[in-house]
Amino acid sequence: MDGEYEVGRVLRSSTAAFTVGCRQLIAEQDKMTPKLGALLKAKGGGDRVVYGMTCNVTIEDDAFVRQLVAAGVDTAEIIEDQRQKRQVPIVVDVMIVGHGEGLKCYHRLPPQPPRTLDEISTCGNAEVVRFTQEHDWMRLVLGSIDAPVDQILVAALRLARDARPSNDERRQYLVGAGRELAKLLSLDLARLDGILRQLR
Amino acid sequence: MTLELNRLTGQVDAMGEKLAQRRENTARRGQEARQLLAARPEVDDELRAKIEAARKYDEWRRGAMPLGDRLDEACPPNPDPPEVILIAADGSQIFPDRHAITTYYLINTGTIVMRRGSGSAPSTDSAPEIFFEDEDVYDDEGQVVSNEEISLARGRREIEALARLAEQERRALGGDTSVPIVALVDGPLLPWLRPDPQRNDRINEEIDFVIRQLERLRAAQAIPVGYVDRPGSGFVLRIMELLDLRLDQIERDTLRQQGYKFAGLTDRALFQWLRPGERSGFFNPYSNAHDRYYSRSGERIAFAYVNMAHAGRGEEMALARIEVPGWVADRKDWLDAAHAALYANCVPTAYPYVLARAHELALVSQGDKGELERLLGQVMMRNGMMPEISVKASNKLLTGAR
Repeated sequence: MDGEYEVGRVLRSSTAAFTVGCRQLIAEQDKMTPKLGALLKAKGGGDRVVYGMTCNVTIEDDAFVRQLVAAGVDTAEIIEDQRQKRQVPIVVDVMIVGHGEGLKCYHRLPPQPPRTLDEISTCGNAEVVRFTQEHDWMRLVLGSIDAPVDQILVAALRLARDARPSNDERRQYLVGAGRELAKLLSLDLARLDGILRQLR
Repeated sequence: MTLELNRLTGQVDAMGEKLAQRRENTARRGQEARQLLAARPEVDDELRAKIEAARKYDEWRRGAMPLGDRLDEACPPNPDPPEVILIAADGSQIFPDRHAITTYYLINTGTIVMRRGSGSAPSTDSAPEIFFEDEDVYDDEGQVVSNEEISLARGRREIEALARLAEQERRALGGDTSVPIVALVDGPLLPWLRPDPQRNDRINEEIDFVIRQLERLRAAQAIPVGYVDRPGSGFVLRIMELLDLRLDQIERDTLRQQGYKFAGLTDRALFQWLRPGERSGFFNPYSNAHDRYYSRSGERIAFAYVNMAHAGRGEEMALARIEVPGWVADRKDWLDAAHAALYANCVPTAYPYVLARAHELALVSQGDKGELERLLGQVMMRNGMMPEISVKASNKLLTGAR
């Protein structure tokens, strides 16, 4: 799905990460929930943005749904009400991988984290391509501790590849990214091999 | 945490003992009331005369007149109609706060229309309104409008929404009246209004509004129901208290001395015999608001108790009070349809699903309030104002966050 759409708002943030709170219809979850590794942006003032990558999605416990399931409710109208009309609380954890101003992207931590209640949206293909043109953001991902870093990297690289318009560009992108990874993980060949295998 | 729990342990222990004593006392007195009812369940002319006399001599006595011939009626629910439309409305509000960045209030009305038998998702809506104009926020004496007035405004929106949606649904059915429409509001049908001779016109205005909306519902052939969960009323107990009095004993002093022997109990203690799904007979309640409604509409409100528990879920008793206008109580087919539809809708708990959803659609959380006031603050700054909460409120933010 190309094109920007609003995901939610910042619940809390720090220099290296932020958490997004959103509410979505169960029926639209597949379309609206950001994917693992997806590039998101927090819009600050003016044309400044903070970029992050989805590293965890939690679908919060909903006591009402739990009760319906436990009671074995199978009334069609109630099930459709839950799917199409009730919103599920979702929390998205995002690791910060850079910031930008206008068309410029910087692969380093921003001077300030996003503000509480800042809007978070996905990035369209053009913005993903612009951000991932250089590969330095991978250093920030690999440097993270509290996340399944390798899986996030694989997911992010796949999405960045798919954002390119042609097969040639996609292939060239992965080759370039793979070379960069080889430099970054030169002392951990097993890990490098694991990541590269998942990119095939 | 600043509450010194260690200083409360003695009081809490005493409270526990008192609650246990009270429970024992309530159980014993409830048993007494049920035995009295079992021994004297018939409604005859003498009992009706006693009830009317009690009302006449003690206008504050909140009793009731049974519409049937027995006090111990128990009607099981009919099967859930294959097609029924359930409409529910609920409201929520932000009251004005003189410590906030500005004086305003908000009413949010949530509605749901569930079409049983359609297989489709219900229609839902949340309609927030913010009030900030001087004529809305301040009363005639320049005081900020009271919470009671805002609650009344919320209630008006709930019942008006029911009427509007019932009209829409009946039109969508092409006027076909074979599909029952049950329009549900959380709480009694009539608003609670503090009796005050100085506010007579104001009270009448509120009652007249309800009458107009009920007439719209009647014209749409809809069944309005007020739903009271865990009712605290003692209307029928007031009848039990008259059983051992002679008609000539019923006058003000005797009533005050002997006519409240079940005071402190609620009708919940009495209607324990209702099995899951069963409803009691109907009664006309007596109160200032009900009398006023009768004098202005010519109709009486009727109520019954229903056990909304489902045995299949291991539930035994969940008593609710349902209120309907008199013109509904006169129609057995409507009563049966509403009873069956409401009982079937009490999933996953012993409370109507549509009311739970209407409440959810209306709810304004603290987080919502905070976000709204953040937005208000931004708008104020854009218009050259500096939003400031009171010093007291800002101190609460500093100290209350622990």
